[in-house]
Amino acid sequence: MGVRLKKQPKIPSGTLWKVTLRLLLLLAIDGFVIWFAMSAFAEGYFQLGVVIALLGAGTNYVILAKDLYPIRWMLVGLVFMTMFAIWPILLTVFVAFTNYGDGHLLTKQQSIDLFLQERYLPEGGNAYTWTGYINENDEYALWLQNEDGESYLAYPGKPLIPAAEASGLGELDEDGIPASVGDYKRLNAIQVATNKEIVDVQFGTDLDGVRIRSAREAAQLEPKFEYDAEQDTLINHENGQIYTPVDGTWTSNKGDRLSFGFRAGVGFDNFTRFFKSSALRGPLFHIISWNFIFAFMSVFMTFSLGLIIAYIYNDRSLPGRKIIQSFLLIPYTIPSLITIIIWRGMFNNEYGVINRILESLFHIAPAWTVEPNLAKIAILIVNLWLGYPYFMLITSGALQAIPEDLYEAASIDGANGIQKFFRITLPMLLVSVGPLLVASFVYNFNNFNLIFLFIEGGPPIPNSPTRAGYTDILISYVYNFAFAAGRAKEYGLGAAITIIIFIIVAAITLFQFKYTRMWEEVGENA
Amino acid sequence: MKKSLFVILSLVLIAAFALSACGPAEAPATEEPMQEPAVEEPMEEPTEEPAAEATEEPAEEATFDTYITIWSDDMLTPVLLGFVEDFQNEYGIGLVVENVPDRNDQFPIAAPAGEGPDIIMLAHDRLGGFADSGLLAPIDLGDKAANFNPAALQAYSYNGQLVGVPYAVENMAFFYNTDMVDTPPTTWDEVMEVGGALVDAGEATYALALAGTTYDAYPLMTAFGGYVFGTNEDGSYNPQDVGIDSEGMIAAGDFIKAGVEAGYISSSTDWDTAHVQFETGEVPFLMAGPWALDRLRESGVPYAITNFPSETAVGAPFSGVQGFAVNALSDNVLLAQAFLTEFLATDASMQKLAEGSNRPSAWLSVTSDDPDLAAFGEIAAVAQPMPNIPEMGSVWGSWGDATTLVVNGEQDAAEAYGNAAAQIRDLIAGAAAGMVNVPGSWQAASGACEGDWDPACEGSALTDNGDGTYSATFELPAGDYEAKVAMDGAWTENYGVDGAADGDNYAFTVEADGTVTFTYDSETHLLDIVIE
Repeated sequence: MGVRLKKQPKIPSGTLWKVTLRLLLLLAIDGFVIWFAMSAFAEGYFQLGVVIALLGAGTNYVILAKDLYPIRWMLVGLVFMTMFAIWPILLTVFVAFTNYGDGHLLTKQQSIDLFLQERYLPEGGNAYTWTGYINENDEYALWLQNEDGESYLAYPGKPLIPAAEASGLGELDEDGIPASVGDYKRLNAIQVATNKEIVDVQFGTDLDGVRIRSAREAAQLEPKFEYDAEQDTLINHENGQIYTPVDGTWTSNKGDRLSFGFRAGVGFDNFTRFFKSSALRGPLFHIISWNFIFAFMSVFMTFSLGLIIAYIYNDRSLPGRKIIQSFLLIPYTIPSLITIIIWRGMFNNEYGVINRILESLFHIAPAWTVEPNLAKIAILIVNLWLGYPYFMLITSGALQAIPEDLYEAASIDGANGIQKFFRITLPMLLVSVGPLLVASFVYNFNNFNLIFLFIEGGPPIPNSPTRAGYTDILISYVYNFAFAAGRAKEYGLGAAITIIIFIIVAAITLFQFKYTRMWEEVGENA
Repeated sequence: MKKSLFVILSLVLIAAFALSACGPAEAPATEEPMQEPAVEEPMEEPTEEPAAEATEEPAEEATFDTYITIWSDDMLTPVLLGFVEDFQNEYGIGLVVENVPDRNDQFPIAAPAGEGPDIIMLAHDRLGGFADSGLLAPIDLGDKAANFNPAALQAYSYNGQLVGVPYAVENMAFFYNTDMVDTPPTTWDEVMEVGGALVDAGEATYALALAGTTYDAYPLMTAFGGYVFGTNEDGSYNPQDVGIDSEGMIAAGDFIKAGVEAGYISSSTDWDTAHVQFETGEVPFLMAGPWALDRLRESGVPYAITNFPSETAVGAPFSGVQGFAVNALSDNVLLAQAFLTEFLATDASMQKLAEGSNRPSAWLSVTSDDPDLAAFGEIAAVAQPMPNIPEMGSVWGSWGDATTLVVNGEQDAAEAYGNAAAQIRDLIAGAAAGMVNVPGSWQAASGACEGDWDPACEGSALTDNGDGTYSATFELPAGDYEAKVAMDGAWTENYGVDGAADGDNYAFTVEADGTVTFTYDSETHLLDIVIE
């Protein structure tokens, strides 16, 4: 590291081998980029190809242009940020304006192709069970049996031969199926199915010919659909209906819909759907106010406790200071997922440790998961446990950065401990810790894991027009609505809601950062 | 159901990646970064131990022209791998079995991208969503259908079409502690009587502990006549008939509430707590599934399995059906279908699948020497297939909340379930609930909508006049038009000429450019069209 730092400020003098090395490296990168972009194009991933190509071009420009020398050191970071942060966000935005989800997973061409493959048995058409045969030239023949027990032999393009008139039949098995027909050997259905084209082969003539429909049945099938590219419609030959695509769903003029559609842009539909949904008729006021209370109380409590502990252990004369401080860090080192589940068990109304202790000491057993306010308190306690070590760490560092002479001056002026804390320590701390408090607030504002793992937003709010719980915060409430209770997997709607939540959180964060800038000014003036 | 939001969000991102593949129809991207478990090179098929193979075909790793790929789970992959050698030797077709634990999430992304398997192992409740998307090819069992448990076939059908081959059925059963109870009760009143006596005598803490608020309590609810979705004539579920607030469901709720108040039913509905209470002999009765067998046996509690108690109806659990479905976008649809119907749907294969999965088989002639499994199998006869319609997703949360409110004593069953049903109906109807629309060939011409025949277009929706009629006026150029009345932004409920449901289109002619006023009467379902 040190070596590189020393070299960095110098503009490369351009000794030959250095330049060559750099160009070779660039060449290697370009080769990779071109290969990557080309294969992306070849596979049909145009957007990905374009992004890769643009990134490659940008890389070249940055490396070759002298003015952009400083950016070179951020290049890798920028490339990865574009690939893994900006690009997925753009895609999410894109998905939010489509109907992508169950029922609309395929491309338009795929959905048309699948419909064109569908065949139907017209009225009066014959259906048979089939047995396949093959000769040495890989030509196939079928032995057909209908429900009346009549058997036929069928070759592609030749009229069906009734069993009685067929010649060269091998030994018949118990179902009346010959073991061979002339030089055709009998096959198992699986062996016949190995030939991918077999479903397109017509056995018999246009008048009586059959096609294989499944591993057992062959029938006089007709294509069910026809695609009219000019009108962009699918015509159903079976019932004569004509289907036009409406927002990616094939819809007839009578209102019939085909079972599946395709991915298509739907404009702002996903957003309007959300805004018109019952989600907005839910107890939103309660949820949002609890969301703010929860985030604020979490930050306030964790910061206060962390600060108190740090303040106490800031005194170097305390015995065993380091060991105790290390122990206090334990909650921070255990994955929160595990901690939350353990706490959930401890708060169990009947068998939880907490209620057992309370019962033996005070003969009370609060219903933590049933009483709304108790549930909220329990959640705050868990979050306090999870969060205080962070602020303990931060503040103990920040405390040491406050100059001693300030305290000395205060002592000379006759300030007592409390005055010193509120007039010196706290304002000085907030300058450095303020932004972290905001970050913590934003984190807790969206603390889905805690709310969901602890009691899934419960206890439920009675008579709510849509599902909601007393401890639900905005994000868990919306999750229940949009993802857990969805009629199907709707990625488009999910993406739209993700964007809406992002906007809300971004607004809150922006507002608070403005607020912290004010803190900074106070700090500087003080 | 308890997925972290982030899984979902990242799924959206993955989905976004897949969606970006808006190029040619078949886009089997190899460098698609997020879809690892797609079909690997055919070479690396995980067959038997190489040692065994070496004797038969020395040196040469068996390669085939055609491969069938199956996505399976932890439990079944070893069983399926056991088929590989026999199948390959007999048919000369490669068989690749891959363990893809998150295949339910992968499949809808991989299949359209051309990277899906030929066959996927699925629980039947996810079939609806996939079939609705055109991802599953239908299956024709022919005569073999008679060899299957009819309920399993019903569960594995969607829109009246069989979309896979089921192999196992799983459902809950009624357990009782044989030390505490001599003869199993046949009605829920008896359960309370027998259990209540034990509680009063201090031998048990509760008569019953519910292991959940929805699925795990369902056998009790059905005993009182409760249901989730009503059924159509063909046995499929009807999403318009939500039974969460049915009389039976409410009666069951009242029963539970009374039991909790009397101290006979625990107010906890935690799955673990209920099982522990039964295992430690604190509770004499338990409703549990075959997945709890291992822990119950381990606990050493003396138990027996019996039918669910009845009340006004037969107590019936939900059944879950496991099976195999064919990817409609695979290159080998017919082959995959043939593999399932000709190779897997046979006595020998089904027997192996049943032994490997430790679940009652869907294939009738499979025998099991495990008496517990046999008992589960008997109850399967009355089990109701868990609805595989996508609307089921909207039910769980609200249903569970309502039961919680009842158990907590916060609300009466009628109130709680009534509100839950309203929530569910609302979700099912979607955003357009209450919309009255007159979709037709006039919509685009009026400029109110972008396309014709769109029942969800807001521009053409009628406004409520407050007296049971709805109306709106539009300007239309001269021409012949057709229209129909559609409710709730969908075609599910629609009215044509003479107010007939699913009736013929109204036809009207605008002689010269003018205005058209539609007035709909919600009592008679008649549409009045006035042209001026």
